[in-house]
Amino acid sequence: MGFKPKAITEEVNVSKVNPLIDFAYLLGVIISLTLVIYFILGLAVDWVVPQLSPQQDIRIGELLAPAVAPQLGGELIQDDTRQAYLSELLEGLHHPGDFADIPLTLNLVDTELVNAAALAGGQLFVTTAFLEQVESENELAFVLSHELGHLSARDGLKSLGRGIFVLLGSMVLNLGHQGTGPDVIGYALNLNSLNYSRAQEYRADEYGLESVVHHYGHGDNSLDFFRRLAQRKEAFPDGLIRASEYFQTHPLTEKRIEHLQAIAAEQGWPMTGEITPVPSGLACANFDCDENPSDS
Amino acid sequence: MEELIIFVVLLSVGYFFGVLAEKKHYKDIQKREQETLSLAISSFGAKQPLPQASDAQLFVGEVVIASDYFKTFVMALRNLWGGRVLSYESLLDRGRREALLRVKEQAIAWGATEVLNVRYETSTIGGKKQGGVGAIEIIAYGTAIR
Repeated sequence: MGFKPKAITEEVNVSKVNPLIDFAYLLGVIISLTLVIYFILGLAVDWVVPQLSPQQDIRIGELLAPAVAPQLGGELIQDDTRQAYLSELLEGLHHPGDFADIPLTLNLVDTELVNAAALAGGQLFVTTAFLEQVESENELAFVLSHELGHLSARDGLKSLGRGIFVLLGSMVLNLGHQGTGPDVIGYALNLNSLNYSRAQEYRADEYGLESVVHHYGHGDNSLDFFRRLAQRKEAFPDGLIRASEYFQTHPLTEKRIEHLQAIAAEQGWPMTGEITPVPSGLACANFDCDENPSDS
Repeated sequence: MEELIIFVVLLSVGYFFGVLAEKKHYKDIQKREQETLSLAISSFGAKQPLPQASDAQLFVGEVVIASDYFKTFVMALRNLWGGRVLSYESLLDRGRREALLRVKEQAIAWGATEVLNVRYETSTIGGKKQGGVGAIEIIAYGTAIR
């Protein structure tokens, strides 16, 4: 038996599949799997959140509340007569029967950022800068009742719930943290979560408008705040620092204004009426403007 | 968004340079395989009668080949539900053949007629990120006789 040298002619150890096709296939499968799981989780959260009891809702709100003021760049104000005024306004605004078991807590945050936010468990946050910006009680009321709409629908809990699932899932699979590997999962999720929030915003808008119309008898001036911001943003695109914070987190696009006007027309709500002014001194602590001249 | 762009750029760079390096390496390998074709290689040698020889020497050939960003990423995806990692097949194939060629070339330079008891060893180097390897190292060794 002699040795007959034989050259390697066929690459038996290497598959003939184009690596790009293999890559596209893998990516496609993983993205669609992630989206499917994401939607299923969304449904799961929608099912779980309404089942939470009022006590659990309140508890979660209490747990999360301390984190909000620092995020808004300021501190919680402990004693201010404005809080009593705003709380009374809230009582008049929410839909009858709503919040029967959950007391509403109005937190005032001293900060330069204009913002109003709803958390969970009846916790509402309003910034002093926002109070300086409002020009009528109607628009103040609309913003507040929009947030009440979020609380009523437990939107804060819902967005938290899904986030918890996602975080748990990514921790278990050890994905998307260190740079290489499937960070793509993180991106697939981000792109979809926006749509979810917009539907919630629309519902909160409707809640808000209904509350305002119910309280004042009409919806006039309620959308002024947003219209002003939109105009100012167009005029000075880079100039708004204080007000842009709210605008970025609550962009009231033309679509939403149109949607609200359509709802008003459908329901037969009057959209013209007498404006209700804010109480004087709203921009200052305790309604007292003598010591601290406001500089808005 | 910037992260996504950087990621895509890294992937493309990894893919294109990886494909380039691979083609070049394979060409080189095939050329050298033709040249060293005449040397007999066998994997037996232990507990078997050996051919007549006056001299014997151990030769070791080793090579370290790095994986690129594209290959590592595809490997990480495969790690989720298994299957053949096509991207790594060429890496290992090249490594094995290159290591063996280095043994053969050394043996031929020494004047060997045969290389017996050829063995391979593989290990991974680096690769601190889970699901990917930094580089693979392949060692081939055998006893050359003349």
